[in-house]
Amino acid sequence: MIVEGSNLIIEKLPKIRTRTVRSWTPVRAPDIVGLARSRALRRCPGRELAPRSLPVSADRTCHWCHSTVSATAITHLRCFSAENTDVSQPRLSVAVVGAGPSGFYTSKYLTSAVLHRIEKANDRNDKRDEGDAPALAPFDWSGIDIDILERLPTPYGLVRYGVAPDHPEVKNVEHDFAAQFETSNNNPSSSLSFFGGVEVGKDVKLSALQSMYDVVVLAYGCQAADRRLNIPGEDLEGVLSAREFVAWYNGHPEFGHIGTIVKECLWGSSDICDVDDDQVSTAKVVVVGQGNVALDVARILAKGKRGLIETDTPSSVLEILKGGASHVSILGRRGHVQGAFTIKGDSHRTMLRAKELRELTKLNKEGHNAKLIIRRGELELGMNDSSVAELKGASGRPKTRIDILLRDSAVSETDNPKDEAPKTVCLRFLLSPTSIEAKDSDGGRVGGVVCERTRLEGGPFKQNSVSTGEIETLPADLVLTSIGYKGMPLEGMKGRDQFDHQQSVVNNLHGKVTGDNNLFASGWIKRGPSGIIGTNIMDAKDTVKSIMMFIEENGRVRDEKDGRRGLEKYLEAHETVPIRWENFQAIEVAETDPARLRNDAQPREKILQITEMESIAGILKQ
Amino acid sequence: MGRSFASSLNTQGARRSFAQETVSFTYIDPTGEEFPVEAEGGKHLLDVAHDNNIELEGACGGELACSTCHLVFEEKIYDKLPPMSEEEEDMLDLAFELTDTSRLGCQIQVTKDLEGMTVRIPDDGY
Repeated sequence: MIVEGSNLIIEKLPKIRTRTVRSWTPVRAPDIVGLARSRALRRCPGRELAPRSLPVSADRTCHWCHSTVSATAITHLRCFSAENTDVSQPRLSVAVVGAGPSGFYTSKYLTSAVLHRIEKANDRNDKRDEGDAPALAPFDWSGIDIDILERLPTPYGLVRYGVAPDHPEVKNVEHDFAAQFETSNNNPSSSLSFFGGVEVGKDVKLSALQSMYDVVVLAYGCQAADRRLNIPGEDLEGVLSAREFVAWYNGHPEFGHIGTIVKECLWGSSDICDVDDDQVSTAKVVVVGQGNVALDVARILAKGKRGLIETDTPSSVLEILKGGASHVSILGRRGHVQGAFTIKGDSHRTMLRAKELRELTKLNKEGHNAKLIIRRGELELGMNDSSVAELKGASGRPKTRIDILLRDSAVSETDNPKDEAPKTVCLRFLLSPTSIEAKDSDGGRVGGVVCERTRLEGGPFKQNSVSTGEIETLPADLVLTSIGYKGMPLEGMKGRDQFDHQQSVVNNLHGKVTGDNNLFASGWIKRGPSGIIGTNIMDAKDTVKSIMMFIEENGRVRDEKDGRRGLEKYLEAHETVPIRWENFQAIEVAETDPARLRNDAQPREKILQITEMESIAGILKQ
Repeated sequence: MGRSFASSLNTQGARRSFAQETVSFTYIDPTGEEFPVEAEGGKHLLDVAHDNNIELEGACGGELACSTCHLVFEEKIYDKLPPMSEEEEDMLDLAFELTDTSRLGCQIQVTKDLEGMTVRIPDDGY
């Protein structure tokens, strides 16, 4: 075979060399030779190196762009293709429990760490042939297969069920996560698989997973429970956690019942069909806590149906919100300076953030008929010498911006901002709830929140709020506690050893779960329920470092693990039908079907029942 | 009716034509490794990093809803960059290792002003 004049592009990163080939030649490693179907230059992300020689005598498949080129023609040579099937070396099998941001970022970085390690091992071995570098310890695996297990039929965790519907840009990260299936599965040495509708602890035992896989990563977050206020009256009707409220307005299939409670609080016994779309509920809502979740729920209640009509808020939720609530108070125990977000903030403290605050200040301007009220007096109360000191320095910059933002919006006692808009959102500081009172007319239902005025004491960054004895009772028809999510141990976690019940996280050191096991942790269940989506990036890298250390140290001490095959057999034996990625795609298609949407701008109408999701996904469950 | 052509020119007349420029500069990753690139004028630094397989997350896809594309500039370059919007500043507040010359990569476009610069991808903090 003679191929005249074709350009052989040999990529040896980072430089690119070219030479012209006149005939078929065996191509030696570390030259990277690829075969592409079309003449269009396509950039392949691969960095894999060839094993020894590549006799080009049969049809080859480029592992990066998946094109097949027959042996009779070489067109463009772009990317590397090799059949590095060294069957004596199995692949690392990993199970990730939880398909939220931490699960996806851990999969992403672990895959690239393993592939990079394989590349280094091959690279050094090749150099050794040429007499260059000293030998690197061999890597015991030839690839990596990751299975992401998720309790719900749908992945993405709080990105789908936590991020507010009027923050669609924050949900963009879903594209990155979905793309990982493509990237991983386009590489011959890695693969990623989704198992939805599989609950670890129930559908598959944690111990079974640990024996089926080389590595198990717990990334299931903190959505199981709430931090409690632990004050009398917390269990009255009409007292919910913000977590439950958020899950409801985001269409979480297990929180539909919250809608009934919210409806009763906002509209009493009125028939919801008799309530006008723009009718504002006279209910008073009190939110305890000032983190981003607290500000989210206040904003959703202020915007109501009209303000959310073009978001992915489920229609049934809008039918209950109608015109929104006339009065929402957001209470903070400390001053505004202490509550303001800093990157090194303590995980259990509330954190006011500029973005959500700014949104609240713009509510009226943007036509939502809701005004943000901040009492100047309460800002002054919190500005003692220690607070002034806390505004200085590097960590003071974000706090200073929040201080300025709040002052710009503040009103004095004599102003009457209620005249400006039918709905008000009131940010209150230095108030600590001590008990929740029932209504006079209904002893089982919430009527008000009794608060104590607090005062700040202590040096900068060490201030505590202490009670002054002054009482203020805020009338309330709905109370939403927003003081933190809480993690729970998985069924099967060994008693107190593996779970820290104080911090409500898994016991771990840099992501390695304590004890002689192959368990790791990532995300909120590792570090506590704090931080934003992006915080999981560094958290995942930290866990991945621990995993790499673990697998390098222990090598392959056991026989090859069953991994994905084992899980599939196990689930079949237990009559559990998992939802695979393509099944989930069917759910996505259904939710975004224009016939289902209330207007052109709505991104999706979420499916609210698990049984409906399963039926659309083509799954028959017992 | 649509805006008149004349009024469009008023707001956009000052915009530079980026298309012809190719600018050379260097990214430095958290380990200190250098990545020299040749970038097309007008492209955002986040996209340029992705085009060159440099690891820089852009979780929100460049819509000012995260701080994962945080970059640190040399002071003389930072001073030449277009002013920061409130939205960008709000997001930067959430970034690790924030500096006085930090910006978000999704907001900075390649211009000749960046020629020869070194831009640092800050450490994650672990």
